[in-house]
Amino acid sequence: MSSVVEVKNLVTSFKTQEGTFNAVDNVSFKVDAGKTLGIVGESGCGKSVTSLSIMGLIPMPPGKIESGEILFKGQNLLKLSQNEMRKIRGNKIGMIFQEPMTSLNPVFTIGNQIEEAIKLHQKELSSKQVREKAIDMLKLVGIPSPEKRIDDYPHQLSGGMRQRVMIAIALSCSPDLLIADEPTTALDVTIQAQILDLIKKLQRELNTAMILITHDLGVVAETCDDVAVMYAGKIVEYGTADQIFNRPLHPYTKGLLNSVPHFETGKRKTRLETIPGIVPSLANLPQGCRFFDRCTQSIEQCKVRQPELEKLEHNVACYNPVKQK
Amino acid sequence: MSTPFIEVKNLSKHFPIKGGFFSRQIASVKAVSDVSLKIQKGETLGLVGESGCGKSTLGRCIIRLIDVSAGQILLEGKDITQTKGEELRALRRKMQIIFQDPYSSLNPRMTVGKIIEEPLIIHKIGNSANDRRNRVKELIETVGLRKESIDRYPHEFSGGQRQRIGIARSLAVEPELIVCDEPVSALDVSIQAQVINLLMDLQQKLGLTYLFIAHDLKVVEHISNRVAVMYLGKVVELADADELYKNPRHPYTQALLSAIPVPKVGGHKMKRIILQGDVPSPVNPPSGCYFNPRCPIMSDECKTTDPILKNLGSNHEARCLKV
Repeated sequence: MSSVVEVKNLVTSFKTQEGTFNAVDNVSFKVDAGKTLGIVGESGCGKSVTSLSIMGLIPMPPGKIESGEILFKGQNLLKLSQNEMRKIRGNKIGMIFQEPMTSLNPVFTIGNQIEEAIKLHQKELSSKQVREKAIDMLKLVGIPSPEKRIDDYPHQLSGGMRQRVMIAIALSCSPDLLIADEPTTALDVTIQAQILDLIKKLQRELNTAMILITHDLGVVAETCDDVAVMYAGKIVEYGTADQIFNRPLHPYTKGLLNSVPHFETGKRKTRLETIPGIVPSLANLPQGCRFFDRCTQSIEQCKVRQPELEKLEHNVACYNPVKQK
Repeated sequence: MSTPFIEVKNLSKHFPIKGGFFSRQIASVKAVSDVSLKIQKGETLGLVGESGCGKSTLGRCIIRLIDVSAGQILLEGKDITQTKGEELRALRRKMQIIFQDPYSSLNPRMTVGKIIEEPLIIHKIGNSANDRRNRVKELIETVGLRKESIDRYPHEFSGGQRQRIGIARSLAVEPELIVCDEPVSALDVSIQAQVINLLMDLQQKLGLTYLFIAHDLKVVEHISNRVAVMYLGKVVELADADELYKNPRHPYTQALLSAIPVPKVGGHKMKRIILQGDVPSPVNPPSGCYFNPRCPIMSDECKTTDPILKNLGSNHEARCLKV
């Protein structure tokens, strides 16, 4: 089976007053139909820039895609004109953003906003059909009495409901690829459970490929087939969810997993394991491995040369990976 | 049992909604209703719940940042509900707060030194400017920052470091109780762990009492001795942390616990209970048990009778007709 999207050696840079930095540096991954790839990492590690690069939404300037390929069903998105890209964006590739409060336009009804996406990409439908389709979409994402709700404004809906509307817009043109950038971060746990459940169910029904971007390892473990861990612009580890969570090879991945408090009764009041220090600024990256000064098991080589993603049990960029028991 | 450090009795806080002609009060937001709880000296009480359940309001009422509508707050047995003026200010030395957002809770125009010094000036601690500066340096080191940070501005620090500055500021007056209002929710995971460790170390070293407010149940479980779960302004379950997580009795607590995504692939997992609908508005709460419109085990009785907090033995209380 060929992949829906394949990113090869993507480099995206931003020009700032202090110089040009690669926010995404030589990143490669692929996602198959019906599968979910999770991209995890801390703030500023380049996960959102990766998704915006695929969508062609990097503001240029100051941003620039320096090199690499983004193959969407075999077609290189980076070679397309703005016009051609517009036909794909929102149509073949849908996106859900983090903030359901700010990503809807407050002066239009939610019906207007869903219809806009349908009208743009499915010009053969009449206005009546478009409205019917919008109501169907609202029904699909579980909004009660959609015939009435379609004329509501965003402020009349709760956060969870707004996120459902965003999902309805993203899925209205049955995309082949759905990019969800922190779709549940702004929501409460019980609402998060509802939304994740909904996304998974719809993905199964529509056989959509999905890229889920999040910093919540729990969400990744529950929803993703494959996982890419990013650190300071690079993918440091890439494998199946089972490999990443049960047999992590990179010290950063292991550190991340250990720093989350687990439900382990009886073991209360012990200190959490931490990763010392903070993420290096992109303006000031070390010469060798970017994780070097926070790493507990670095060796001489790490200081000098940057490790590249290598296939061990699964892909990892580390000279001294975690030993498996 | 000895007198609890803080005892809250039937506390309620209603915010008026004004509108109409002459801005009369037309309704009220029942942010906290009829909450009773105790915090012993040196322990950590965790307070969890979803947004809008009144957990921050409760925290702010307890340290008298806002006035209560009804009920009593006792500090070491003394009623502080109506304390005013100079007396209230003296009280503030005992109770401090750490805020959620390390970006907006520090004045960007003041240096770190000035920020931490301010409470010392207000409470007239330290004899000279030099004295105070030494104390500030000491505090900066206590929270794990470098002494040189004293003359830098907040924007020069990362989120985790700013949160440390906020902690240093609250420690300046040597308080006994600190209300931690979502202290780690704006931080990245690896930084979260550092701040949680710091809070636990400080508690051990200085014998602090914490009221730890958070929506992240995993963090609360880790740091708390006892945990109170709030829903729509009411405490629905209160128990020792171990007991609550092992043996949740209220259907809301059960759903909340099961909804947490666990960073584990394979192995045994809790069966997920997915609640329908949203949290109702605290302006117009449902009749009977507040949780009944979303409750999976609701019966007719729940629509009419508002349950009380029932004692289930071994320090475990739940507010449900079915337990």
